[in-house]
This record gives sequence, structure tokens and C-alpha cells, in this order.
Amino acid sequence: MATTENWETQLRKGWLELAILASLWEGELYGLDIIRRLDTNSDLLLAEGTIYPILGRLKRDGLIDSKWVEAEAGHPRKYYRLTAEGRRRVVAMARYASTFLSRIASLIEPLIGREAP
Amino acid sequence: MNPDQRLQQKIDAYLMQLRRSLGELPPEEVTEILQEIRGHILERTEASGELTEARLVAILKALGSPDDIAPLYQADALLARARGSLSPRVVMRGVHRWSTVSVWGLVLFVLGIVGYATGASLILAGLIKIFDPIHVGAWVGPNRIFDIGVNHDPAARDVLGWWLIPIGLVGGSALLIATTRALRWTLRFARIRRPTTA
Repeated sequence: MATTENWETQLRKGWLELAILASLWEGELYGLDIIRRLDTNSDLLLAEGTIYPILGRLKRDGLIDSKWVEAEAGHPRKYYRLTAEGRRRVVAMARYASTFLSRIASLIEPLIGREAP
Repeated sequence: MNPDQRLQQKIDAYLMQLRRSLGELPPEEVTEILQEIRGHILERTEASGELTEARLVAILKALGSPDDIAPLYQADALLARARGSLSPRVVMRGVHRWSTVSVWGLVLFVLGIVGYATGASLILAGLIKIFDPIHVGAWVGPNRIFDIGVNHDPAARDVLGWWLIPIGLVGGSALLIATTRALRWTLRFARIRRPTTA
């Protein structure tokens, strides 16, 4: 439910999806791999567990695929990889986001460091 | 109880809680979710060197509370299931979910109730007509325009007679199916989450 205090959550979710898809560009990864990448590059993840439902939805949307692999760790890992459609989508998203960000940046730059009245 | 067992119990308790919170999803989906989350916890614990209770608590805290994670699965999964289901219960659950975030969902929810209630009433009327043909019918008369149901007014006339049975059963069933199909079709426009940037 969209309440005023969760605008940050909403914004974060959109970016998180893009970040997850982008992290899979080079090849397949399992959940914790993706989390580690996101962690080192950003503060997108508040709770690590939120990534799994998002992966489930991206899969239902046909953007990624998954398969279980028996790992030497002793428990199987679920690996995800981009589908052809996912590749097209993430490139489109990245272009859009990049243009969008630079426009937003020029708009909000004057506000940073200002004091609220 | 040795410390390892205590920690194992803590992990199990977390997964049990998650399973409870996931209640509405199909069992095979739940199993897969739990397996993935269990893998996450195990891998984190293995990577943390010597596992202490404090470390495990930190791992579970970073993962997030089951009550916070489970709804994220459900919001989407309920809709996905509703879109593909022929069961009025599953479909209406998806519509109900949508109705909590959108006025269109709410309108659809009301229409769904009307459609299902009318369909069920028609079937019921057709069935009851078999057992009480005198008082059950499709009535017109001086004190009413038209209604289907039980009547004790001698002035009213049953316009359908025995036809109420096939019409009620077939028409009611058709209405139930049509309602389900219409709801499912409309649900494809449902968005629980905001659309992504693409």
C-alpha cells in the first residue's frame, strides 16, 4: 500500500530490479552472489531476503531463468540467468535510467547542501 | 542440548515462521522458497567462520523478518495464480488483493461478488425447484415485477415453470464461468507494485 513514508521503499525497489538484472549480465549467479554484488556496490538492499521474491517475479515475467545446481557446499543452489528478453530489457532499462538520472541530477543538485526552511 | 543444536533450532524456527507466513502459496512453491532461504542461511553461517549465537542472530536479522519477506512473495504470487486459475476462490483472492491497493480492484471485487452471487442463486433456485416445484419459480404478478425465488402469493404467476431447472442450472453455471473469465481477463491489468523504470 502506497503511504507517504514508503516512497523511499518504492524508489528503491525499482532501482533494485535494474541492479539485479544488471548483476546477471556477465553470467549466472545464485541469490547470495547477487546480494554480495549489490552490497559492495550500493546500499540498495535493506533486508537481504527481499531479493528472493523479486527474483521470483522477474522469473515469472520471463526476464530470468533459474535452475537448481547441486553445490559442493552440501546444499543445492538456485542459479539465475538472464533470458534473451531479460537482456533486451536490462539494456533498455539501463539507457533509460542513465538519461533519467542525469536529468534528475541536474534538477536536484541545487538542493543539496541547502537548509530546509 | 549442545550449542549446535540450539543454533539449528533457531534456523528451523525462522524457517517455520516463514512457512507459516507463506501459508497461501502452493506447497511446491513454498518448498522451493524455503530451500532457497535455507541455503542462504547455511551459506552465510559457513562463511562466518566459527558460528556463535550472536552471529546467527545477525545473519537472520540481515535476512529480514519472515513477516516482512513473506508478503512480498504473496502480493505477486496471489495475482499470478489468480490470473491462471479457474477457481472462483483463487480468482477472488487475487481480486481482493488488488482491491487493497486500487479502486479498480475494489470495483472488480464488487462486480465479482455480484456475478458469483447471482450465478449461485440461479443454480440454487434451479435445484430447489426440483424439491419444491409449487412455491419456487420465476414469478410475475400484481405485487411484483419479476423475481426468482419462493412465493406464497396466489396472485403471482410462474412464468418459467419447470424450465427454471435447466435455465437455472445452465444459466447459473454459465454466469459463474463468465464471471471467472471476466475477472481473470481484467486482472491482467492489475499492478500491485509500481511499474519498473522500463
